Amino acid sequence: MSFGEFLLNNLRQFWELTGFANAEFGNFVMLAVGLFFIWLAIKKNFEPMLLVPIGFGILIGNVPFNTTAGLEIGIYEEGSVLNILYNGVSAGWYPPLIFLGIGAMTDFSALIANPKLMLIGAAAQFGIFGAYMVALLLGFSPDQAGAIAIIGGADGPTAIFLSSKLAPNLMGAIAVSAYSYMALVPVIQPPLMRLFTTKKERLIRMKPARAVSQNEKIIFPIVGMLLTCFVVPSGLPLLGMLFFGNLLRECGVTTRLAKTASNALTDIVTILLGLTVGASTQASQFLTPQTIFIFFLGFMAFIIASSSGVLFVKLFNLVLPKEKKINPLIGNAGVSAVPMSARISNNLGLEYDPSNYLLMHAMGPNVAGVIGSAVAAGVLLGFLV
Amino acid sequence: MKKRIIIAAIALAAGASALSAQSRKAVRLNEVMVENNSSIVDDYGVRTGWIELFNANFAPVEISSMFLSNDSTQPRMYPVPLGDVNTRIHKRQHVVFFTDGEPNKGTFHTNFVLTPGQDNWIGLYDADGSLIDEVLIPASVEADQTFARATDGDGDWAVRTGEEDAYITPSSANVIKDRNSRVEMFAEKDENGFGMTIMAMCVVFSALLTLCLCFYAIGAIGKRISRSNKIKSTGDDHKDREVRAATTHDSGEEIAAIVMALHEHFNAHDTESTILTINKVKRAYSPWSSKIYGLRELPGHNRH
Repeated sequence: MSFGEFLLNNLRQFWELTGFANAEFGNFVMLAVGLFFIWLAIKKNFEPMLLVPIGFGILIGNVPFNTTAGLEIGIYEEGSVLNILYNGVSAGWYPPLIFLGIGAMTDFSALIANPKLMLIGAAAQFGIFGAYMVALLLGFSPDQAGAIAIIGGADGPTAIFLSSKLAPNLMGAIAVSAYSYMALVPVIQPPLMRLFTTKKERLIRMKPARAVSQNEKIIFPIVGMLLTCFVVPSGLPLLGMLFFGNLLRECGVTTRLAKTASNALTDIVTILLGLTVGASTQASQFLTPQTIFIFFLGFMAFIIASSSGVLFVKLFNLVLPKEKKINPLIGNAGVSAVPMSARISNNLGLEYDPSNYLLMHAMGPNVAGVIGSAVAAGVLLGFLV
Repeated sequence: MKKRIIIAAIALAAGASALSAQSRKAVRLNEVMVENNSSIVDDYGVRTGWIELFNANFAPVEISSMFLSNDSTQPRMYPVPLGDVNTRIHKRQHVVFFTDGEPNKGTFHTNFVLTPGQDNWIGLYDADGSLIDEVLIPASVEADQTFARATDGDGDWAVRTGEEDAYITPSSANVIKDRNSRVEMFAEKDENGFGMTIMAMCVVFSALLTLCLCFYAIGAIGKRISRSNKIKSTGDDHKDREVRAATTHDSGEEIAAIVMALHEHFNAHDTESTILTINKVKRAYSPWSSKIYGLRELPGHNRH
């Protein structure tokens, strides 16, 4: 072998390892999707905390490389750095940590002061089971249908947790779909809220919530965890961590732990979760006809969930006395998407009455939605595993 | 302080050992072959009888220092050796011991043999000699047949001949699951998902409704306690005051005004960590500590 051939051979081998030599059409599609997510986050300010890590993760996951070279760089290659980070998603331990943070940063006062708002959070879970029925119609098996339908819970960590147990092969598409629609809540929900309410209903003023004592705030996570987990033990990882985080916040003697759980820990896990979920969308695994169905079903789930929350409030108002009527604009907040959907209730309320602040009232069904979707996930897990 | 640490350490150690002991109690005798002419061979290529153990836990179990015996009067007949990584059984997994009477061949070779044509009793003991599981293999079990539990770690013992629905399954599940029966049941009985929807929504509603009722009750009790405290502190238990206290609604604005007034009056604040407290700091003036004398004058610009 001459020196020239030696150089050429090595350069050829190097070329075969580059992304250019291994690129497929699907990779470019997914790179475009990743860039679109980053654009949405930076330019449109749609859930940037989620869409920037997911978008960049999609870019990382779709840089083409030679999968037969044993480089141990791909997210699905055992032992690679990305694979180690992905374990938190595939084994389902990132979502409970996120729930710990959510618990530590959520004030349940609105819910404790007005417990009937919990029922709105329960009603909105109909989105999950409506989507379950549509998924069955489209030919998905019950376990796959359950994993897809949980998108209607509008809770990313719950969706990842459940899909990792019921349909691990669909988890990437489900997670991306769930987070995408959560980012699009400001686009999806307002037209539905306008459609199902009258102008008179939108102007309903709700009484300010009563002051909640610290004792009640301390009792809430303890009783809440025991009650919900006794009913649905399979929701223990999510509900246990949610209520534990809230106890850290409210007990008054673990301020440092609550701060860490709600800030540093949540930020770290959000970064890792977003990045690895994004990176799991390798074109070869992600670009399938099933993904299109999953996105369609996720959209359906969001529409059904938001609508059922609003319609339930209207129904509920029929039996409530006049002075205790609920503004149906807070019904959409029954889907989790904390706190985005509660902000939408508030903004829409202000649009029709500039002095009618609904934010704190909407936070009640909003956090009830988190509990409700975790319970629904536990039910699906209990029935189908 | 040291005492407390020691007590905590002892409690932790006791808890850990109790957990470990508890998990070992879930190891089960699962399948036994007395005479082996056509089943699996050991790592020396020899066919002998075998005993399968099953870890019924959903966590790994270390079985070293446990005992296997075929004589109830000698529970410590064969100690499972220490120091072999293979004696750690993964969750819901199996391990096979060959009953060849040659323990020098390795960890999984017992020092006793099972005798064909007669009843064989087998016992599994923990390290402290307590019996964990036992089985009596009837003499009627023939060569190349096993005596096994209906399902892993559970169910009645029965003879397995190797025919369909009576497979011989050394080192694997007694019932081979190649599908999720629950999913199949839902697919068959609840094609359109109505059943799931009704059941699941009932569970979700009942869970949150229970929580809701519970907090109505807690709220009512809290209100009653605070009202009675209020009456006690004012020393006025007049019925009118009680009725007024029960019917008066404290609006957010009223509460804010009261809090501001209290704050002004006592210059005190509550336990919120985010309160901003502004205090005037007085310092006597002295030219020695005055910043102005420590600064050089900036070069002036001539604006003429």
